[in-house]
Amino acid sequence: MNANVLDKAPVPPSAPPSAEVQDEHKLVKRAQSGDMEAYDDLVRRYQERIYATIYHMTSNHEDANDLAQETFIKAYQALKSFKGDSSFFTWVYRIAVNKTINFLKQRKNKTHMSLNDLDFHAEHDPDLVALVSEKTPRREVGLAELQEKLNAALQKLSDVHRLVVTLHDVQGLSHEEISKIMDCNTGTVRSRLFYARQQLQAYLSDYLK
Amino acid sequence: MSSSPENFDQLRKLLTVKRHEQPPPGYFNHFSDKVVARIEVEGLKMRVSWWQRLFPELDAKPVLACAYGLVMMGLLAVGIGVSQSLDTQEASAPNPRNPWLAQTPTQISALPVGASLAQPLPGQNNSSVNAVIDNSGAPSFLFDVNRLEVKPASWNLR
Repeated sequence: MNANVLDKAPVPPSAPPSAEVQDEHKLVKRAQSGDMEAYDDLVRRYQERIYATIYHMTSNHEDANDLAQETFIKAYQALKSFKGDSSFFTWVYRIAVNKTINFLKQRKNKTHMSLNDLDFHAEHDPDLVALVSEKTPRREVGLAELQEKLNAALQKLSDVHRLVVTLHDVQGLSHEEISKIMDCNTGTVRSRLFYARQQLQAYLSDYLK
Repeated sequence: MSSSPENFDQLRKLLTVKRHEQPPPGYFNHFSDKVVARIEVEGLKMRVSWWQRLFPELDAKPVLACAYGLVMMGLLAVGIGVSQSLDTQEASAPNPRNPWLAQTPTQISALPVGASLAQPLPGQNNSSVNAVIDNSGAPSFLFDVNRLEVKPASWNLR
């Protein structure tokens, strides 16, 4: 197998293409008429992205698991009121984001990280290899340490700044998509992203020299 | 390496670590099942009538929509055919006990007056309790005004 294929980081997900949107529209119609199989399909379609967004916001697998499930349950309860003004994808993201921010407000400063393991490809990611090999020859320890430092730095950001970095730099969403999810204009998204990156760069300066 | 505020390339590379963080293997295999199970356990499942369920099905499957249309047209044609044959039968065999249903307006006007309309009894004025239409040919379960007893009202004002 070609090593380059393995070394690639997972492709960041973004908004679904138009054919997928049409298919999604049919699934939503069926789900609105009580078809649980259709709703199950919708959950399968977005479960990874929703879970990942919440996980990156909380840095805790158990919290992300609970919140992701609650997001889809809440979405089901509100499905009748979904008029299709935005895509289902954006709508569910909004529910997830609101739920997560409310949860984080209640949790306040009681951050307890429960990080997921890095997948096999992380050790072979050329960008990460370059970053880690400069710090330590023992890559596994280096990556785990890097992961912890990065999550700790992200937790120092405010919720909205962490959300913008998560959606843009980790999830790969465009400024426009983020502005729809966060219900603000793209200028605000850009300025928040810039500020968040500046903050992160300062927190992680030891790893970015 | 540069760490100037405007150059975030290194930071973005570092953030790729986050993309490699994965939940335990097989975590997503049963995620949707758990969501659906919670919806059912918590009694949140939508109750929808059969016709509300039918239209999205038709929307999603054009073949089903065509079949539905053909069945409806067939039923309509059968209904029209049956009603026409019933009309023909009734016209050819009028009911002798009910001249109102079986006869045409011209035939009705040709009937003797006494046969269809009640006449005031000799020596009596027209009254609102007199029968306007002779209902002697009507079925017995219908309301019969002529058999009602009329009693004077009495008021006890104590």
